[in-house]
Amino acid sequence: MQGDTIVALSTPPGSSGIAVIRISGPDASGILESMTPGAMAWKQRTLYNRVLRDGDGEMLDDVVAAVFHGPNSYTGEDAVEISCHGSMQVVSAIIEESIRAGARLAEPGEFTRRAYLSGKMDLAQAEAVADLIASETRLQTRVALEHLEGGLSKKVNAIEERLRSKLALVEASIDFPEEDIETYTVADLAAVSDETRREISELLESEVAGGKLRRGIRITITGPRNAGKSSLYNALLGEERAIVSPIPGTTRDVLRERIHIGGFTYHLEDTAGLAETVCEIESEGMRKGREAACAADLVLFVVDAGEGWTGGALEELEAHAGRNRIVVVNKTDLVPGGGETADCSPAGEVRTVDVSAVTGEGLGRLREKIFEFTANGEVSSVSRERIALNIRQGMALRRAEEALERLGRELGMNSPAEILSLEIREALDACGEVTGRSAAEDILGEIFSNFCIGK
Amino acid sequence: MKNDVIVVGGGHAGCEAALACARMGVETLLATIRRGDIARMPCNPAIGGLAKGQLVREIDALGGEMGLCIDHAGIQFRMLNRSKGPAVWSPRAQADKVAYHERMMSAIEAEENIELLETEIIGLVMTGGVVTAVMTADRGELQAKKVILALGTFPNGLMHIGEKQIPGGREGEPPSRGLSDWLSGAGLERERLKTGTPPRLVKVSIDFSRCEVQPGDEEPSPFSFRTGRLVVEQVPCHITWTGEKTHAIINANIYRAPLFSGQIRGAGPRYCPSIEDKVVRFSEKPRHQIFLEPEGRDSEEIYVNGLSTSLPAEVQLEMVRSVPGLEGAEIARYGYAIEYDFFPPHQIHSTLESRKIAGLYFAGQVNGTSGYEEAAAQGLVAGINAALALHGRGTFVPGRSEAYIGVLIDDLVTKEIREPYRMFTSRAEYRLSLRQDNADERLLRYAVRFGLLPRGQWERMTEARKSVQRARRRLEAESVTAGDAGTMRAARLLQRPGVSLDDVESLLAEGPLALGKRERESLEIEQKYRGYIRRQGRSAEKLKRMERRRIPEDFPYGEIKALSSEAREKLEKYRPETLGKAARLAGVRIADVSILMVFLEKAGAWRDGDDG
Ligand SMILES: Cc1cc2nc3c(=O)[nH]c(=O)nc-3n(C[C@H](O)[C@H](O)[C@H](O)COP(=O)(O)OP(=O)(O)OC[C@H]3O[C@@H](n4cnc5c(N)ncnc54)[C@H](O)[C@@H]3O)c2cc1C
Ligand SMILES: Nc1nc2c(ncn2[C@@H]2O[C@H](COP(=O)(O)OP(=O)(O)O)[C@@H](O)[C@H]2O)c(=O)[nH]1
Ligand SMILES: [Mg+2]
Repeated sequence: MQGDTIVALSTPPGSSGIAVIRISGPDASGILESMTPGAMAWKQRTLYNRVLRDGDGEMLDDVVAAVFHGPNSYTGEDAVEISCHGSMQVVSAIIEESIRAGARLAEPGEFTRRAYLSGKMDLAQAEAVADLIASETRLQTRVALEHLEGGLSKKVNAIEERLRSKLALVEASIDFPEEDIETYTVADLAAVSDETRREISELLESEVAGGKLRRGIRITITGPRNAGKSSLYNALLGEERAIVSPIPGTTRDVLRERIHIGGFTYHLEDTAGLAETVCEIESEGMRKGREAACAADLVLFVVDAGEGWTGGALEELEAHAGRNRIVVVNKTDLVPGGGETADCSPAGEVRTVDVSAVTGEGLGRLREKIFEFTANGEVSSVSRERIALNIRQGMALRRAEEALERLGRELGMNSPAEILSLEIREALDACGEVTGRSAAEDILGEIFSNFCIGK
Repeated sequence: MKNDVIVVGGGHAGCEAALACARMGVETLLATIRRGDIARMPCNPAIGGLAKGQLVREIDALGGEMGLCIDHAGIQFRMLNRSKGPAVWSPRAQADKVAYHERMMSAIEAEENIELLETEIIGLVMTGGVVTAVMTADRGELQAKKVILALGTFPNGLMHIGEKQIPGGREGEPPSRGLSDWLSGAGLERERLKTGTPPRLVKVSIDFSRCEVQPGDEEPSPFSFRTGRLVVEQVPCHITWTGEKTHAIINANIYRAPLFSGQIRGAGPRYCPSIEDKVVRFSEKPRHQIFLEPEGRDSEEIYVNGLSTSLPAEVQLEMVRSVPGLEGAEIARYGYAIEYDFFPPHQIHSTLESRKIAGLYFAGQVNGTSGYEEAAAQGLVAGINAALALHGRGTFVPGRSEAYIGVLIDDLVTKEIREPYRMFTSRAEYRLSLRQDNADERLLRYAVRFGLLPRGQWERMTEARKSVQRARRRLEAESVTAGDAGTMRAARLLQRPGVSLDDVESLLAEGPLALGKRERESLEIEQKYRGYIRRQGRSAEKLKRMERRRIPEDFPYGEIKALSSEAREKLEKYRPETLGKAARLAGVRIADVSILMVFLEKAGAWRDGDDG
């Protein structure tokens, strides 16, 4: 019933560091076969160990894969499951290759929807499926928005604006040939198209391939001054990166390093401590720290076991309500049993870990807690969304780049306006996938507000 | 007296509607206020133009009358955009307005199934939500199984010339009052729009020697697939310009312009602004272009295209006389603006039948569109659907990837109308396929299926199309050797830039392609665009699939919590007929469509509609 084939990361890497990618639809096994040239026929519901390759024969990963024939699959359609190594690069590369081979990235809740539509689920579940789609969409929007605050969207927006104004010129030349208006010139369009293509290539280099988009899960350490945040940071890194000192307010900037736990990549951030009265530089440090904590996937809130919830610590913790957090009670070597914090630990706070950054006591438990979060909880959907977003944006930008390349060629051949329009629209469409708006819409409005049209 | 169909209004929409019904074997009454109104052109004396020319070709392929009328009444023919690609070539012709009216009149009189009646319809009669009769002003009720309303700018029409306000449907004609109020009373939403027209000048008072001449094409191309070679003596148009003096006059009197004094409240078209609007909004422009177009071959009057205005009469005269060539001009008729009621088309199905009142159809200006061609296209669709419904033969809703007519109707039922809607090529996402040259390939089969064309005519048209298909097959099958390019399929060679069909044909081993001039051109264009069109094929396929998924009229959007509230509101207002239309509503996102799919399945509502 569904004409096309979809692909998505279904589970992000678990404790073994293995991620599962699913492909569903009529071309599912064809796509798998295209990535395993020369392999023998696949028996269904059988696990095979195979090397996946891209179109140029380059190895993507060593995976375990299985083929399912509809209706005997999760979605009821022909389907493929690939278990691969869990790094973002590998996952992205396999998904991108599947897309090149004819799949498209699944929409929110689409696997479940297909399962439902093919009768694999009972009717009473419609409500649940709809809710799932709505909530995955909200998540997608959140991740995209959070992302768009960055420089990428500003740059793509600028590109869109420029292309849109050129499209208006081209369209005006088509729909209003009798009007006394200046429309496009080939030279100008060629210059714009070249420049824009260069910008997009740079974006692809810096934002996509360079890994900014491929970042891992963000963990921010926060808490009162002197609670031992920098000490914990160093302890988790296993190296001395942050300056630890008994003088409160030593850390002023946000420090960031990568750590790995169970196959996951995390970006661990150390921030300035929170205090009531501070000097200007310090308050700037606190502002940055708060910002980092807001954008984090997980907050580690550190308190000093000896100090407990004094000096506004509890209010600060409250500020992180609703966010994923773990309360880390530090310096337990000084106060055996957790001291005062155990008693005043905020009601319902389930994730509290006692540690000592100095002795290393409790750090293993903290790592486990962090991992649990990632593998099962919301963080896992967030990271899955990020991978999807990353792939989507990368592909969209490449699509825009290709359209502009063709535009350049067409301009060189002096092609007619409606062909130029086709390519500019395609590029705009692709940019729209990054910024989430469709810039090619209401191009007539753009024309009417910029040109004196009308006989 | 009981008719199958009553068409109200003998404008461009009403005429096509009545003819379509009659040709499909339906007893049709065409009621209009005055016989002289039949297919009158109240604004510019021209048919066609960008996107509109394509519409006329489509109307013609569907057996409509507009193309034949303009081929008969045209006094100057031009193919616009010749310098651009052939997908956007658009035929346009200056019309002799009287000849156009007469030609349409004789088509209507020749149709046995049409009875023409001069009367004003002031209300409808409804039984259980179904329209059963119309109420005339002077002879009581007339019964009908279906009623098509094509009222144009008449419903509560109000004309403005400066401070003067004159109730009327257009110059010299009374408005239609009762019917619009009746419809509103029956619970239909109505809103107001505005349009305008320039003054007409006395021809002999113009000094054409001071103007640029704009001649017709040397070889005029006809609109109708049924017209052979056009033999016509063409009449030129002329071009002149406004200047600083004109603009100063306008600026000095702007406070008297109804558009700026607050006297006019309806929204006018942005693409067709009055001269006062242009001067105010684009004050940096030193001059505006003006086309002087004859109202007919022997007409005494000249239409001043570009000078649409509702300024007071004396200001119009002063303004006109400030234009080079018009220093001694006399005004035969003054320009005016007109406000009128329309019924926002989220209230109709894409068959153009009212959602609220069964058996009642709306076509033309009453749906918020503007333009003769847009009106005629809707009239044709309404007529076909009314007749199909009478015969229990399904519906006719061409798709967006199939015809400009499809784009028009789809836009009407999915978009908010904030100004009079006019067709543009940029509205059609598949415009490379929706060309004037292939309208017959796209639509002729419907005309044949519905019986809209006499046998002789459709057989000739079909044969012409078949000759294109045969030639296409030959290009795909035969290999040619072209000097340095090597040996390849003829079709491949033709796709290369700079290679013409003539070039390829001369290389064909099995001799020349037997093709008429028009068919040749069409084949060449199609082959040249092939690569691009194929690239669009996938999205066109997806579009069609989404259009096949129907949503029941009474679908309970309100109960679906997972939909975003904006989407729910839009869906309840528009009640889209298909998933594709739902997706095109502003405010409905992909996720909302996914959610809808789930619930449609639950409701067991998957029905694959026939695609026409
Ligand atoms: C002043 C003016 C300026 C315009 N300017 C432009 C323009 O710039 N560009 C453009 O594209 N289009 C313009 N138009 C619009 C164009 O004329 C219309 O779009 C087109 O004619 C609409 O066709 P129609 O069939 O819907 O209605 P019309 O051609 O208006 O025909 C309506 C017919 O219905 C009849 N009628 C109405 N009410 C009743 C009733 N109750 N009972 C019986 N008969 C009835 C009338 O007598 C008339 O014959 C303008 C129109 C006017 C009047
Ligand atoms: N005994 C003990 N001292 C600690 C521990 N963690 C941090 N400290 C000390 O507490 C002081 C403040 O530590 P620091 O990491 O700079 O705190 P921050 O301000 O929260 O970054 C330093 O003198 C550390 O040596 C711990 O677990 N045990
Ligand atoms: Mg510190």
